[in-house]
Amino acid sequence: MIRVILVDDHPAMRAGLTAVLRSEPGIVALGAASSADDLPLTLNRTRPDVVLLDYHLPGTDGLTICRQLKRTVPAPAVLLYSAYADASLVVPALLAGADGMLHKSAPAPELFDAIRTVARGDRVLPPVDREMLEAAGAELDPQDLPILGMTIEGTPPAEIAATLRLDPAELSGRIDAMVQRLRVDVPAPTA
Amino acid sequence: MTGAVRADRWFSLLTMTRLLGAAVAVTLLLAHRVTDWDVPLAVLATAWTAATLIAFGRSARLRHSPVAWGVDTVAALGLVLASGDWRSPFYVFALTTLVLPATRLPSRAAAVWGVTFAATYGVVALLTRQVPSDTLSNTIRLETLATHMFVPIIITMALGYSSGLLRRLRLAREESERLAVQAERQRIAWELHDSAKQRVHAAHLILSALDGQVQDGGHGLVDAALAELRAAGADMETSVAELRMPLDGRPVDVLLRERAAELERAGVATIDVRGSLPSLSPLVAAHTYRIAAEALTNAVRHARSSAITVTLGRDPGGGRLVIDDDGVGMPTGAQPGGHGLRSMRGRAETIGAALEIRPGDDGRGTRVALQLPPIPDQNGATA
Repeated sequence: MIRVILVDDHPAMRAGLTAVLRSEPGIVALGAASSADDLPLTLNRTRPDVVLLDYHLPGTDGLTICRQLKRTVPAPAVLLYSAYADASLVVPALLAGADGMLHKSAPAPELFDAIRTVARGDRVLPPVDREMLEAAGAELDPQDLPILGMTIEGTPPAEIAATLRLDPAELSGRIDAMVQRLRVDVPAPTA
Repeated sequence: MTGAVRADRWFSLLTMTRLLGAAVAVTLLLAHRVTDWDVPLAVLATAWTAATLIAFGRSARLRHSPVAWGVDTVAALGLVLASGDWRSPFYVFALTTLVLPATRLPSRAAAVWGVTFAATYGVVALLTRQVPSDTLSNTIRLETLATHMFVPIIITMALGYSSGLLRRLRLAREESERLAVQAERQRIAWELHDSAKQRVHAAHLILSALDGQVQDGGHGLVDAALAELRAAGADMETSVAELRMPLDGRPVDVLLRERAAELERAGVATIDVRGSLPSLSPLVAAHTYRIAAEALTNAVRHARSSAITVTLGRDPGGGRLVIDDDGVGMPTGAQPGGHGLRSMRGRAETIGAALEIRPGDDGRGTRVALQLPPIPDQNGATA
């Protein structure tokens, strides 16, 4: 049984997802958070295996939350589920530690497969090609490029820290900064 | 043309004042017999009034031409001189020559024009040899002359100030309208994205979960509904992008170069943008840009092109935009889901442009050619 929670600020999406997940044997939706503020409570109450995370959330974004989720122990698998899941998001998602990325227009069976895959500990991410890497590299500090390279190859953070002789906390901070730098800005409404 | 002339409030002022000035001059000439050649002078004044009003009314270029204003002024001061006295029946008539320069020139230049007029008038007064220099009555006459020279300066300043004020008011109104429209577009975009599109995604998801449970015959229907929902989502995405990024009055050439640079950074194709387009009306500019942007996107994403050339040009018939790529080519017939092509054709039709999409000249790639409609002359006269 795979335990799943959702983070999405759209009521229609939360209701739809809950209904769809309920229909699938082997997957159980334990709760839904509508914002980053609701998330810790839902997380503590449910201890999920997989968090289905919207990219655009009020006041923050999926990548920032993903970083936070990955610091909790035990860290759940994170599947970024977004209407913006395009190529420009792959590298930032990898850096943020997301296990998978899926577009909201994907049909339900694809969603179920993705949830099962990330719950097993595998990744559901498009392969990173040279252009994506170059585009990301151009945005980053040259000193951070080794971190980018190792993260993309799947090297665990502890090993990256050891290789670069960095303090794990410092590495974590640098990755946070890289994620912020690469974050894809989704235009917010003007009030 | 007539509409443009009617909309020109300063030309209306010129017409009214000049007709009045001419009527006063002719009446005074014929009633008081000022000179020996009153009748020819009255005829000349009437003819000149008619000629200038018709010429200025016909041609926006003349209405904006300092040379024409200068000729007009010299002619009017010539009439003053011909009447033999600077206290001339043609004084009011001569003042009307100030209307166009005062309202068209920047305020400082208008002031200079006014002062120059006054000085020239002073010279004309000297030439009429009616400026004596002793006695009390002469002092009074000198004061009258000073007033005569001062009035044109005041008129020029006042007209210049009013026209500047009106111009600023119009700009402020346009700016506030533009901001209101922009705010409204943002709101619609957000609602479309935040509410409608999320519901479409949710409906698509729920329906797709149902697909496994329907009877054999139902699959086709579910698939068709799913395809419709996907298309609706894509439509909304396009609309949201459009609402969020209006052209804001920037020229299409600049925007296209920016877009090309963006695509170059993201993709594998090199995009070369050459030439420039004539200046376009906001509506034509918006649609032209979207058509070109869509064609570029197609060339990069779907046709897998590696070299794209955008040629912009201007010709007497309007503007022309040609996009050549070396990709796999575009489907020519109406394709299901060919939303991009359909919207390009729709846009071209909206602005009265001719859109041609065909294989490239050497049989490879695709050529998208857009011939823009002729541009109406800015000055109101049709080219």
